[in-house]
Amino acid sequence: MIRMAITRINVGPIHPSTHGVARLVVDVDGDTIVNVEPHVGFLHRGVEKLTETRMYMQAPPYMEKLDYFAPMAYNDAYVAAVEAAMDIQPSEKAKYVRTILLELQRLASHLVSIGTLCNDLGQMFTGFMWAFKDRDIILDLLQEATGSRMFYVNMRLGGLHSELPADFEEHAITTMNYIEKRIGEYESYIEKNTVFMERMKGVGVLSSEDAKALGVTGPVLRASGINYDVRKNSPYYAYSKLYFNPKVMLQGDNFSRYKVRMMEMRESARLVKAAIKAMPDGAATGMPVKLRSPNAVNKVSVVSREVPRGECMMYLVADPQKPYRLSIRSPSMVNLAAISHIAKGARFADLFSIFGTLDVVLGCVDR
Amino acid sequence: MKAERDSLPATVGKMATEGYDYLVKITAVDYVDHIDVLYVVRDIAASKDQILEVALAPQDLWVPTIMSIHPSADWYERELSEMFGIRIDGRSAPRLFLEKWDGVDPPLRKSFKWDVPYRTKETESK
Amino acid sequence: MLAQDLINNIVNIQFWLSSPSLLYNIIGIVLYIIIVFILFSVFGYLIGWLERKLIARAQYRHGPTYVGMWGLLQNMADLIKLLSKQDIVPEKADRVLFAISLPALLALSIFIILIIPYSPNLQATNLGLGMLIVFVIIAFTPLLLFTAGFSSGNKFAAISAQRSVLVLLGYELPMLISVAAVALIGGGYSLQAIVSAQSGYYYLLLMPIGFVVFFIALLAEFERPPFDLREADSELIAGWLTDVSAPYYALALYLDYARMFLGSIIVSILFLGGWLGPSYLPPLVWLVAKAIAVSVLVILIRATAFRMRVDRVLRFGWLWLVPLSLINLVMTYIIFVK
Repeated sequence: MIRMAITRINVGPIHPSTHGVARLVVDVDGDTIVNVEPHVGFLHRGVEKLTETRMYMQAPPYMEKLDYFAPMAYNDAYVAAVEAAMDIQPSEKAKYVRTILLELQRLASHLVSIGTLCNDLGQMFTGFMWAFKDRDIILDLLQEATGSRMFYVNMRLGGLHSELPADFEEHAITTMNYIEKRIGEYESYIEKNTVFMERMKGVGVLSSEDAKALGVTGPVLRASGINYDVRKNSPYYAYSKLYFNPKVMLQGDNFSRYKVRMMEMRESARLVKAAIKAMPDGAATGMPVKLRSPNAVNKVSVVSREVPRGECMMYLVADPQKPYRLSIRSPSMVNLAAISHIAKGARFADLFSIFGTLDVVLGCVDR
Repeated sequence: MKAERDSLPATVGKMATEGYDYLVKITAVDYVDHIDVLYVVRDIAASKDQILEVALAPQDLWVPTIMSIHPSADWYERELSEMFGIRIDGRSAPRLFLEKWDGVDPPLRKSFKWDVPYRTKETESK
Repeated sequence: MLAQDLINNIVNIQFWLSSPSLLYNIIGIVLYIIIVFILFSVFGYLIGWLERKLIARAQYRHGPTYVGMWGLLQNMADLIKLLSKQDIVPEKADRVLFAISLPALLALSIFIILIIPYSPNLQATNLGLGMLIVFVIIAFTPLLLFTAGFSSGNKFAAISAQRSVLVLLGYELPMLISVAAVALIGGGYSLQAIVSAQSGYYYLLLMPIGFVVFFIALLAEFERPPFDLREADSELIAGWLTDVSAPYYALALYLDYARMFLGSIIVSILFLGGWLGPSYLPPLVWLVAKAIAVSVLVILIRATAFRMRVDRVLRFGWLWLVPLSLINLVMTYIIFVK
């Protein structure tokens, strides 16, 4: 191999594969990566500080802008933290409806992840477009349920903004059957491609010890063989009542991270169908956006939610009028921080597939 | 669970050997009369969380680094020093990363003023 | 007299060039240039449109629809847009090399265009070593891309330049070996002779392995996916084109399509019988139809393939293509020559 002097390459913030505005300063020796240093902060909006100046239910729109591929999941985590601070229990029906909507959101988000991964591996947008077409079908479903396609703001204290429309259940089940069929098509289309498998298997390996030490979460953690899923380990909503198994792979390479997402999509589609079948009667509508104060000053509530990218933990210190302090644990941030470890020693072309499998959303990293 | 600042690395290290070997988050809350630095650690196998609270006086803001025990503390400690102005002992001035904030008031402290022009340490000294 | 000749022999360049009259010779040269220019600009353009449309259909999209019928004029609109933009030469660039490398690439392509025959009578000159010269010139293009990449002073372009030389190392050899097999049974390096030798069976049927090796090597040579390492847009932004702006970029895009069409014509001549075909259509139409069919194949590969990694590209070239092309050469010798 030809040895060259170490070259420093600046990737981003304007680069087609950084999924937003990440900047990676990469030192390469020939084609091998010596060091990667992520620079973030281009999207920093001070969301945590902004919530301190707003009433409780004025904050959800900010939460939704954290992660533009799975807005509802973050909104839900925040609302759940407020509910915990105010001792509000959502109704049984609302729990199921939230479960269904959150799983739909996870499907939509994972589809984007798979699609952009195809793009990062140098495919001419075909996988990307296919994934976006299917994501659009799920967005149609979410629009039916919430009235909006991108930013939903449909979570209310103790429930949701509105009841599900009458024919939603039927639509959801047909859509889920279709999506399950499509996931099979994706798998046969992607995993039979030798180039894809060569570039995914054994590349970007993250061992389970390193995964624990680096604190990665979500699919990245589970792809490294650590079975931790908030939905299973500390169940919320309807997850404790539905049969559900976290998906774990042992190798910790690019392919396992991709495969974990694929399997989770299957599981999500199944969960949606199961939740619709098991949904109890009752009302899912929560309180109107009328602000109610928590009883105690400086009451702390800690709520963890499994959002598509990993575990989002909301640490809320409540005051009567406004949140006193809201601290968001961003799953994208810890996963991005791990890239300097994972990409070390990989080839320059693999940096982007590793970045793609980490599935980072920069809005969530910077907050 | 309360923890002492001086024995923090020892406490975190002891908890890591007891199973709490996954760092979930480091954050802080400004209660004006004191600042709480919170270390959320987790026992993955038992799925139990433990929150260590270190109370700091506003005049004496520093905590020891725990990067040798949890490498994932890196970015959290950087965020802490940038957003709260808390010095991380044992690390040579961590590079700022979220806002490259060089203002006088750390943004997440309650003393932060919204309605004044941006003040840096340089303009302040003039 | 002249008008009569023009009507009868508009594409018969040999008629004009072999005439003793100087006027006829000049008319022949002008006619030839016009015909070849129309051929390559129109079909280069059409293939650009076809690529957008076909890839769009593979992705549940419609592609261009608004400008012109079926969006046929969309590329023209893009061309006008690119030509009307500012031409920026980066500060770090080597101005001279940066300015001449793309036009030089065009000049090289024109060289090849002038050498290859399009029908028995539509050829500038019937060189005995025509095929050899074509491949010598093709082998020269990566070097130009290399200078283009390094002259812009951009690191991504520099990486892309290194990659273009790597691809040259891996794929030039199998391509030339499979061409040698064609020359072995075609009776020499004259492209006219190779086509007329295919009047029995096309070489695609006689040596399928050679065709596959040559096709893959040509994909690599013309930086089509899955070998688009030089222009890897998700890794290197645009590779050697990263700092290339408006008019040069338009030129690069045109070259991309024109070279794809050129490569398809070469494939058709060497393996698909060139202009041979049932006589109800003129020879030129057959050649173009075959070239378009090959281009469609190239485009469909682009719509589905993932990009190969550099080391894998080299490994694939040396572990598979070189042995396969050698096997093809030996088999061709044993079966057809001995």
